[in-house]
Amino acid sequence: MTVELRELRRSFGGTVALDGLSLTIEQGELIAFLGPSGCGKTTALRCVAGFERPDTGAVFIDGADVTRVPANRRDAGMVFQSYSLFPNLNVRDNVAFGLRVRRRPTSERHSRAAELLELVGLGGFGERYPHQLSGGQQQRVALARALALQPKVLLLDEPLSALDAKVRVNLREEIRRLQLELGITTIFVTHDQEEALSVADRVAVLKSGRLEQVAPPAEVYDRPATPFVAEFVGTMNHLPGRVSGETVEVFGHFLPLDGAAPGEEVDVLVRPEAVRVSPSEEGRGFILASSFRGSIARLRVQLDSGGEVLADVPGHEAVRLAPGLKVDVTLVERPVLTAPRTAVAAPVEPVA
Amino acid sequence: MAGLTGSRRRGGGAGWLAAAPLLVVTLIAFGIPTVVLGVGAFSVKGGGFGFDNLSATMQEPYIGALWSSVKLSAVVAILGAVLGAFLAQAVLTSRSGLLREAVLTASGVLANFGGVPLAFIWIATLGNSGVVTAALGLGSGVLYNFWGLALVYLYFSIPLMVLVIAPALDGLKPQWREAALNNGASTWQFWRHVGIPVLGPALLGGGVLLFGGAFAAYATAAAMVGASVPLVTLQIADALTGNVLIGYENIALALSVDMIVIALLVMAVYLPLQKRSSRWLA
Amino acid sequence: MAGVTWRRLTLGVAAVYFLVPLAIAVWFTVYNESLGFSLGAYGRIVSAPGFGESLLKSLLLGAAVIVLVLLLALPALLAVRLGAPGLRPVLETITTLPLIVPPITYVVGIANALRGGTDALAATPFWQTLISIQDEDFPVVLVLAYVMLALPFAYRSLDTGLRAVDVRTLVEAARNLGASWPYVLFRVILPNLRSAVAGASFLSLALVMGEYTIAALMGYRTFPVWIVTVSGSDGQLSVALSVLSLGLIWLLLLTLSGAGRKSK
Repeated sequence: MTVELRELRRSFGGTVALDGLSLTIEQGELIAFLGPSGCGKTTALRCVAGFERPDTGAVFIDGADVTRVPANRRDAGMVFQSYSLFPNLNVRDNVAFGLRVRRRPTSERHSRAAELLELVGLGGFGERYPHQLSGGQQQRVALARALALQPKVLLLDEPLSALDAKVRVNLREEIRRLQLELGITTIFVTHDQEEALSVADRVAVLKSGRLEQVAPPAEVYDRPATPFVAEFVGTMNHLPGRVSGETVEVFGHFLPLDGAAPGEEVDVLVRPEAVRVSPSEEGRGFILASSFRGSIARLRVQLDSGGEVLADVPGHEAVRLAPGLKVDVTLVERPVLTAPRTAVAAPVEPVA
Repeated sequence: MAGLTGSRRRGGGAGWLAAAPLLVVTLIAFGIPTVVLGVGAFSVKGGGFGFDNLSATMQEPYIGALWSSVKLSAVVAILGAVLGAFLAQAVLTSRSGLLREAVLTASGVLANFGGVPLAFIWIATLGNSGVVTAALGLGSGVLYNFWGLALVYLYFSIPLMVLVIAPALDGLKPQWREAALNNGASTWQFWRHVGIPVLGPALLGGGVLLFGGAFAAYATAAAMVGASVPLVTLQIADALTGNVLIGYENIALALSVDMIVIALLVMAVYLPLQKRSSRWLA
Repeated sequence: MAGVTWRRLTLGVAAVYFLVPLAIAVWFTVYNESLGFSLGAYGRIVSAPGFGESLLKSLLLGAAVIVLVLLLALPALLAVRLGAPGLRPVLETITTLPLIVPPITYVVGIANALRGGTDALAATPFWQTLISIQDEDFPVVLVLAYVMLALPFAYRSLDTGLRAVDVRTLVEAARNLGASWPYVLFRVILPNLRSAVAGASFLSLALVMGEYTIAALMGYRTFPVWIVTVSGSDGQLSVALSVLSLGLIWLLLLTLSGAGRKSK
C-alpha cells in the first residue's frame, strides 16, 4: 500500500505551503517529513488525511486517486500533536469510536479495543478517562484509536512534541516497534531532526513547500543534498575556505570537494566530529567552553582569526582539553560540501 | 515545621476574620428576610404554624400562574439555549474577528438590558400601534400573550446564552472534530457522540441561568401584559401592594416560597454538572 | 457549502431579530408624522421633573454598592487563597443563594422583616436605626439588598481574576522584600486584579442602574423607577428613555473593557 503525492500545491492567502511536492512512500515504510515550521510538512500530511485539499496535484493511496475523497472516507489513521482524545468518552470508547460510528456490535468493539490497548501497552486502562492519563499514555491511546479501523496508512502529526524528553524517546521507539510489527505504511511529521533520524526508514527534508532531499537517515546526515539539509540536520561548522581546482583550502589543508563549489570564496561545511583538536602553544585558537556529554565532549573553540568552531572529542579527553587551553584545529580528510560565503566562521546548530 | 503549622493555623483564623464582614452582612441582609419569609409562609391566621397558605397557592388562580411562569421560563430556557448556541457557533466559526468582537460586546449589553425599557422598545415595534404591527397589518394583541412575552424575554436570554456558551465552544478543540472525521464519522456523528456531550453541561448550565432569569422577571411582564398572562411574579406584586382580597396577606409569602423551591430544584440539576464540564474543557 | 449557508442564515435572522427593534426604537424617538425630525424627546428627558435627582440617587447607590461589594468580597477571596481554603465552600454557597431567591421574593421578605421589625422594636433605640436605614434620600436597605444581588456576579468575576494571579507567591515575594500588609494589598494585589475589579464594578453598577422590582415595590424613586413613572402616556419619551438606558449599559461596558485593557 503505497502513498503517492503528485505535484501538490497549496497556498493559504499569500503564503505558499506546498509548492509542487512529489513523493512516493513505499509499502510498509516509515517516512519522516522533516523541516522547520512553515515548511509544508503538516499541510502535506493533512492532504493525505483529507483535511486539506491541494489547489492542484493529487494524492494516491494504493494507486487510487483520493484527492476528492472526504476525510471520513479515507483509509488513513491519524495521531494528532496532542489532546485529541474525546474527553467525554473513556479510553475504550475512544479507541472503538470508529467502530461505533460504523455500528459494529458492542462485543466486537470491546474486544477490538482491548486488543489494541494491549498492543500499545495500556491493557486494563479501558475504563479510565483521558484526563486521568499522562500525556504519553494519551498519545498511546490516540495511536490505538488511529489503528482501530486497520487503516492502509498511519499518519503521525508531531505526535511527541508535547511530551517530556524521556517519554518522547520511549514512545518513539514504541511507535517504531509497532509500525514494524504491523508493517503499516507510515508518515511521521516532525521538526526534530534527531527524532526523524532515529525512527525513519527514509527522511524527507522539506523547505518552503518543496522537497530538498529524501534518503535514508545516514545518507541525509553524511551526504546532505543541499546546504539547507546540511545545516538543518545535525550541527554544522561554517569555515571560510578558498576553492582551487578540485580541492578547497581551509586552515592550510587542501580537502577534496564534494560537488560543485558556488564560487571561489566559500563556506566549507564541516561536522563537529570531523574537527580534530590538539593542545598546541602555536595553535590557531583556544578552547572557549567545553560541555561533557558522556561518550563525547563538545568543545567550542575560539579562532585567533575570528569566529568559532565546534568540535566533538572523545569524552575521556575532556579533562585534558579544558577551557582556556591553546589548541590547534585540524580537519579529517574527506570530501566536503561548500556553501556561498556568509560571514565569519560560526557553527550552526539546529533549533530543535 | 512546627512554626509553619503554627502560621497556617493563624492564617486560618485570620482568614475567617477577613471573611467575617461578608458573613455577617449576608446573615443580616439575606438571612433575616429569608427567615421572615419562611416563618410568614407557614404561619396560620390566628397563630401557630401550618400549610394553609401553601395549600392556598396550590389552587386557582395561583397554581395557574405558577404553572404559566414555569412554562414560560422553560420555553425561554430551551429556545434561548438552542438559538444562543447556534448564534455563538455561527459567530465563532466565522473568520471575521470584528464580527466576533461586535457580537460579544453587543451580547454583554443586551444580556443586561431588561425591565421596563425592554418592554417599551418591543411595544414600539410590535405593540398594538407598533411600527412592524402597522407595516405588516398584524392587528392588535400580537405581543400581549404568552408567546409575545417569550419573544421579548429571548431578547436578553439569547445574548446571555451567547456569553455563557462562547468559552465552552472555544474549548472544543478542532482536533476532536478532525479525529472524529478521521475515524469515519460524519459531521452529524461528531456532534452527536462528542460535540454535544462535551457541551452538554455548559448548555444545561446556560439553560438553567435563562430559566432563572425568565422565572424571576417581573418589570417587563408588568409593563407589557399587566394581568392578561398570569405569572407568579405579577401575583406576588399584587399581593404585596395590597391589590388583593383581605385575609390573603401571607399569600405573597407562600408564593415566594413556591418560587424558591422551584428555583432550588432547577439549580440542583445544574451544580453537579458544572464541575464535570470545567474538567473537560480545561 | 452547507456550512456557509447555515451560518449566513443564522446571522441574518439574528441581525433582524436584534437590530430591527433597536432601529425602530431610535426612529420612533426622532420622527413624528406631524413634526417630522426632532430630537425633542431626548430634550424632554433632561427637562422632565426628577431626572437629575433620580439619576444622582442611583449613581450614589451604585457607588456605595460597588465599594461595599469589593470590601466584603475581596478580603474573603484573598483569605481563601492565603490559608483558609475551608472557607471556599461556605463562600460558594453564600454567593449562590441570591441566585435561587428571585428579587420579587426577596423584596417580600425584606418588606415583611421591616414591618415586623418596626412593630417589635417600637419602644427600643433600635427603632431609630431601622427608620434611618429606610431613608428616602439614601436608602441603606436598598444598598444592602443590591449588594446581595450583585454578590454572585461580582464574586465570580473576582474569583476568575484571582485565578490568573498566583496570589500566594505574589504575597510571599512582596513580604520577603519587606512590604507591609497594606502595601501588599493596594500596591501588589489590586493592580494585578484591575480588570477583574472593573468587571465586578460594571456588573454591580449595571444591576443598580437597571433594577426596578425591589426599588419600585419598596417605593424608592431610583432612576429605573423614575423612567417608568415619568413616561406615563408619552410614548416617545418612554422609548427615548429606553434607548438612553441601553446606551448607558453600553457606555459602562466600554469603560470596563477600557479599564481591563489598560492592565494588559
